[in-house]
This record gives sequence, structure tokens and C-alpha cells, in this order.
Amino acid sequence: MRTRVTTSSAALIAALAALSLLTLTYGQIALPLADTLGALTGTQSSELARQIVLEIRLPRVVAAIIAGGALGMAGVLMQALFRNPVADAWSLGLLAGGQFGVALTVTAAAFAGPAAVSFLTVFEGPSITLAAAAGVAVAAVFMLALGRRVGAITLLVIGLMLGFTSQGLTSVLLHFAARAGGRVYGGWQDASFAAIAPASLPWLLLPIVVGAAAAVATAKPLSSLLLGETYARSLGVKVTSLRHAVLAATVLLVAPVVAFCGPVSFVGLIAPHFARALAGTARILPLLPLAALGGALLAVAGDAIVHAPWEQHFLHLNNILAILGAPVVILILIFSPAVRQWR
Amino acid sequence: MLELKSLAVGYRSAGGPLLSDIEVSADPGDFICILGRNGSGKSTLMRTIAGLQLSLDGVARLGGEDVASMRPGTRARRIAVMLTERAFNPGLRVEDVVALARQPFTGWEGRLGDADRAAIADAVAVMGIEPFLRRYFNSLSDGERQRVMIARALAQTPRLMILDEITAFLDLPSRVEIMALLRSHAKAKGQVILLSSHDLDLSLQLADSVWLLDGAGGFSAGTPDALSRSGAVGRAFDTGGIRFSPSQGRFEIGTSGPA
Repeated sequence: MRTRVTTSSAALIAALAALSLLTLTYGQIALPLADTLGALTGTQSSELARQIVLEIRLPRVVAAIIAGGALGMAGVLMQALFRNPVADAWSLGLLAGGQFGVALTVTAAAFAGPAAVSFLTVFEGPSITLAAAAGVAVAAVFMLALGRRVGAITLLVIGLMLGFTSQGLTSVLLHFAARAGGRVYGGWQDASFAAIAPASLPWLLLPIVVGAAAAVATAKPLSSLLLGETYARSLGVKVTSLRHAVLAATVLLVAPVVAFCGPVSFVGLIAPHFARALAGTARILPLLPLAALGGALLAVAGDAIVHAPWEQHFLHLNNILAILGAPVVILILIFSPAVRQWR
Repeated sequence: MLELKSLAVGYRSAGGPLLSDIEVSADPGDFICILGRNGSGKSTLMRTIAGLQLSLDGVARLGGEDVASMRPGTRARRIAVMLTERAFNPGLRVEDVVALARQPFTGWEGRLGDADRAAIADAVAVMGIEPFLRRYFNSLSDGERQRVMIARALAQTPRLMILDEITAFLDLPSRVEIMALLRSHAKAKGQVILLSSHDLDLSLQLADSVWLLDGAGGFSAGTPDALSRSGAVGRAFDTGGIRFSPSQGRFEIGTSGPA
């Protein structure tokens, strides 16, 4: 199994590198591969190529890799924590909750006056991440409580409905916030890896690194929770503290993604299934790197399609992810023996 | 090795203990069957001894240590349980399920060492589940699942094994096979095995000692013979329709005499 994980990881890293390089090279302006490599390594290349690669495309690709990886790992955690094969931060409404948290904060600031708005703008990175974290945490705790009462598929439907609700509320709130003069995040509705400022990348990365470390640390006890709460306790796991730790890790992984990239759909739902198929096990630790790499690959692929040199530029990331992801979810629901056996 | 001292078990909210003042002990190698009708408190008693539920009074000691105040990790290395609660999970394979039993013995990564692998291989061989190690746990039949979960408990190499109605979904030959196998396992490894079962005949034949719950809060322990002859088995199980015959050592249907 270790060799399976190692070879799969190596293959995924190679694919991710190739796809990233492709995304850096092609776009509205196609660059020779040598120029892209030159810009990346800081050796000879034109100033224009340097600007396009380093200032426009690289931050986007880096954001896609970080966010996709975070969503993949969060998906692994959530599917284990909820014991639900279709759980993920997007499908259970955590991303929408985070968005709603940001919208509430922005609206409050807009009504509080220009000082509050400029405060938010100056401390954009930490403040919207915190607001998103609060929203994600509330949604996660609520869904976890609900998950003890209803079945996996019901929870999925409720999560999606909650997502619609809070997305609606978010756009209404932002409408009023805009009227009150706080046009801070008015355009922030769809998911995108292109909106993040290069200076904000550390704010995206830092919580995710901490969250990933927490995910790795909880991996072993979380594996035993796959057997159910009582068996986990009989194996020496303190289930309540484990739940809290996994929730905290999930919030750390997911909140910065919502804050900077919006509600990225499907990535976290599919990546864990992908990882399980590659690893041939459901134990958590080997799944984490594979789901992170798979999530990153999917995110970069989606971004590459959005930013391919189309005649007109109307493609949205979530539409592409839906086209790539929704059929996979349907296939999982119909054919996966693991899901079919779920009762 | 296992010692219950004035133990009372039940739920604090539900008006008084289900069972109280239990005084009994067991030695290494003892194969003990817990018998009683539904609702007599078998599972509650077993969960309490396993340290999964607090006792209302008294203590359960394993090797002189109070089970309730053991550190969770220590307890997990000494006590293995198998419960009626169904373990299920998408994507979990049989080999994962058995391997999880070694978690109390592994480092933070959960990486298996040689001793862990040996314990797993041993348990897999004993229960004969080799053929479906790579299958999804959820795709097994009820009987196969029970074999896997017993193997999981064996792989935990505990001093005390607590098995709640583990043979419910097995056919008669498999039940006999597994009960006999567990009995000799207990003897060979010096473990105490506590097993609850509705299989009265089999339990009375195989157990070193029987703990009998009469359903009215009464608890009696003894050898199967002694309990049968004293009429305790009859008191715990007789209804209008069936009656335990101490002389035959089994139940009879629709006999005459006082019901």
C-alpha cells in the first residue's frame, strides 16, 4: 500500500507540474515554453513574458493549487467525520456559510461607516478570513448536529439547500451593502482563483498549512472513527476532542479558500474518492496527500479551461467544475460499491 | 484477573440501576457466558466492564486496576470489545477493519510493526477470513461481517475480550465452531472472554462459568451445572410456554406443572 501511495503521488505531482506549466504558457497571449521557463527561473526572458507569467498567471495557478489541495484534504476529513461519502465543504454548505459570514461582516462594516470599511480594506486578508472562518464553523457545527439525525443523502440535499439559501442571502446583503456605499466585495459571487492579489497569497497559505498539519495529526484516531463512535472509544480515542480537532482542521483548511476564491464546488467531494481508489484503503493518513494532489489537479484543470484562449471570455470556474465534477458524483452515487451499500 | 466489586450498572436517568451489588471474579483463561433475556441488562453490564459506560456504584477491576479510571490508551491495549452496534463505512476494506485493532499499539502514524502484522495474520487465520481481506466491509454478508469483527477483536490481543451477541447471524455449525474456537483461544492465551449469547444450550455446554441475569435485577454466577441444578436457569428463562428441565439440561415446550 505504501508503494501504491508513493507511485500515485509521484504521478500526480508530475501531472500537476505539467498542467501548471501549460497554464502558465497558454492563455490570451501564448508564450513560447522557453520564455515561461525563463520567467520562472529568472533567467533570460522578455519583460512582457516575465510580467504575464509571474504577476498574472503564477498567482492564479498557485492559488488554485493551494485551494484545491485544501479542499481535497477537507473532503477527506469531512467524509470520515460525517461518515458520509458525499460530504465536502461545498456540498454540506460550509463554503456558503463562510460566504455568508463574510457578507454579514462587510454589510455591518458598510452600515457602521467609512472607517469600518477602510479598516476592513486595510486588513483585508485576516479580516475576511476570520469572517469566513466564523461562517464555516457555524455551518459545520450545525451540519454535524443534523448529521446525527438524518441519513447521508438527506444531509447532502439539506446542505445544498442551505447553500442556495445562504448564497441568496449573501447577494441580498451585498446589494444593500453596496447601496450603503461599501462596494468592497460587491463582485464576489462566483468562485475564481484569479481574484486573489499576490500579496494575499500568504494569508491563503498560512491557515491551510496549519490546517493540513492538524489533519495529519488527527489522521490516526480519525481512521478508527470509521468504525463508529463506540469502537473508536474502545480503541482509546477521545471522541469528543477528536471531533473538535477535526472540525478545527476543516475550518482552517476551508475558510481561507472561501475568503479568497469563493465557493469552489465539487473539488472536495471528488478528490477523496479519487484518493481512496488510488490508495486502495480508507485509512486517513495515506488519503491526505493523494486527495490534496488530486484536488489541486482538478482545480488547476478547471482554471486552465476557464483561462484558455477563448474568443470571448464568459466562462465561470464553477460551471467548468460542475461539468467535470457532477458526472463523477452521479457515477459515484450509482456505481460505487461503497456508496451503494450505504444505508 | 477480572474482579467486579459491588458493581451496579444502569442509566442514572432511568430510575435506579438495572443490576446492583454484583460480586464476581474470573481467572485467566476463563470462558464466561452471560445469559439473560432481552432487556435484562447484558449489554449494559458488558459496556460498563469495558469502560464504555460509567458504573452507578462499585468497581470493575482488571489485573487490579479500576477499568473506569484507566487511561483510554491503556484500556484499549487490555480490553477488546465487539458490540451489536453495526460498524459500517463506505470504502473501508476488511483488511483496514482488522488492522484498526492495532491502533492502540502503534505510533502517531499508525504504521504497523512486525508484532502488529503477526497479530493480524494470526487473527485472520484463526477466523478464516483470508479470502475476503480485499473486499469492502460493507459488501459482506452478516455472517462474514461477524467473523471479521471477531478477528478484529482477536487482533487487539487483549487480556479481556467482551463479545456481545457475536454469533447472532451465524448458522449452527459456525456458531459451535466459533464458540469452541474462542474457548480454546482463551485457554491458550490466558485471556478472559466474556460472551453474551441467546444460545443457551451451547453456552451451558461450553462455558467455564455462567453469569445469569434473571431480568428482575438478580445476578447469579456459577458453573453451568450448578446453575442448572439450582433452578436459577429456569427462573431466568421459564415462561408459560417453555420450561427448563434441570435433569435434561435443556428446555422443554409446553410441559405440565407450574408455569
